[in-house]
Amino acid sequence: MSVCSAYTTQSLNSTCSISTPAKTHLGFHQKQVVFYRRSSKRGGSGSGSGPCVITCSAGDSQTVVIGLAADSGCGKSTFMRRLTSVFGGAAEPPKGGNPDSNTLISDMTTVICLDDYHSLDRTGRKEKGVTALDPRANDFDLMYEQVKAIKSGVAVDKPIYNHVTGLLDPPELIKPPKILVIEGLHPMFDERVRDLLDFSIYLDISNEVKFAWKIQRDMAERGHSLESIRASIEARKPDFDAYIDPQKKYADAVIEVLPTQLVPDDNEGKVLRVRLIMKEGVKHFSPVYLFDEGSTISWIPCGRKLTCSYPGIKFHYGPDTYFGNEVSILEMDGQFDRLDELIYVESHLSNISTKFYGEVTQQMLKHADFPGSNNGTGLFQTIVGLKIRDLYEQITSGKTAAPLEATKA
Amino acid sequence: MATLRFNSLTGTLEKNPTSSFSSNPRLSWAYFQCNNKGERRASRMTVKAMGAAKYKGTQMREKKLTEMIEKKVTEAKQVCEGDETSDECKVAWDEVEEVSQAKADLRLRLEIEKKDPLESFCEENPETEECKIYED
Repeated sequence: MSVCSAYTTQSLNSTCSISTPAKTHLGFHQKQVVFYRRSSKRGGSGSGSGPCVITCSAGDSQTVVIGLAADSGCGKSTFMRRLTSVFGGAAEPPKGGNPDSNTLISDMTTVICLDDYHSLDRTGRKEKGVTALDPRANDFDLMYEQVKAIKSGVAVDKPIYNHVTGLLDPPELIKPPKILVIEGLHPMFDERVRDLLDFSIYLDISNEVKFAWKIQRDMAERGHSLESIRASIEARKPDFDAYIDPQKKYADAVIEVLPTQLVPDDNEGKVLRVRLIMKEGVKHFSPVYLFDEGSTISWIPCGRKLTCSYPGIKFHYGPDTYFGNEVSILEMDGQFDRLDELIYVESHLSNISTKFYGEVTQQMLKHADFPGSNNGTGLFQTIVGLKIRDLYEQITSGKTAAPLEATKA
Repeated sequence: MATLRFNSLTGTLEKNPTSSFSSNPRLSWAYFQCNNKGERRASRMTVKAMGAAKYKGTQMREKKLTEMIEKKVTEAKQVCEGDETSDECKVAWDEVEEVSQAKADLRLRLEIEKKDPLESFCEENPETEECKIYED
């Protein structure tokens, strides 16, 4: 049973006519048939080529949009891989397209990198003296229009920012997926884009951990030294603090990564203290808790029943406020060394939205080779992935079968 | 009692001391962690070798990114000598960060996906310069 609705990315009255297309392009993908016709551009409309798109959908194509703020590159991060893995299937770049595309597509999810909305390429930024962190380097109007379009079931031609050449490449087609993840530096910066998000996450890495990770990342490179790595972080810090960091107050969940308190002077960033800060009162999202919801708990699982290796594991849970919002914080310090530690911890957590006992452990083991698989980063990323699945299922089961309304560009 | 179902998983999370990423022997990032007695093995060896690069295009990208990192770090140091807080200095280090991350992403992709990122592109375009097979 399908419904065909006509959407235009520009208003129907202007240049677009569906009845007599000059050129059409047929694209088939699963349940959607997309036709488009290149019409003349309305000056500065910013919607790429301004196609008319007729989308036949099975009546349930409202896309759920998730925002992820992270300073660690786009679309290839382990968080994204864990998230897409929860839904099943591996995420891969669009087949046959630009090999430098930042986009990842799996059965259920499409992850787009917000760097693609840079309004200035590398040369342009150098000329104007702005970093990529600066809002002036990004086209928020286009970001808003396209995310809105995808959310309402309309495919878009999204630009590609090529990180190798530093140029803006010709656009690629993004078809509306069931779940759209927008990842990058500014998913929550623009208020209009923020309002489109069904759930938002901020990955907050402390300065010490960031330095340790960048050392691991860059020390093998010929060009780098400890000084250059430090200088790079310091130079970007003012813009980061001014433009990126303030977004965390808007996030529904913040994953904060700090140095461990269990090992004195650990500066390699291996043992980590990770805090999952969850906003209360968010629709379709019930925070994870330990033992007794709303109370304050300190828990060291290692003891008589469970033997842990050094430095062990320590949990903390409790209510708090974060930038004026009521939150619950679940915190893990330490490392998992064995499977039974992981399953033991999982069995004591509540509201983790698993479909079967051991699902968190299974997901963690599936990606045991990913960074963070033995500590709170992997654990909380996996749990957030499950919460997003739960949110998605709640949203989609709550919809009626009525056809979508046409959107206005 | 609840049952655990695991599909083709490794039985234990035990970290072996040789690699924290995949078990592909050609891959890099061998480093040594704390052993069970809490002793810190201080040596960290990073052997730089990108495992699964198969096509010339990927090898060219790796090379280009490596060269850009070196070049841009030198540029940034020069630009910042005058004024560390200037816009030019900020932008220069931001470029260093961008290419460093791009290189790391490529490396991570090769390690995790274990196939050349150009694989699907080269299926469609086998005759291009980028898609010549790279002999190691």
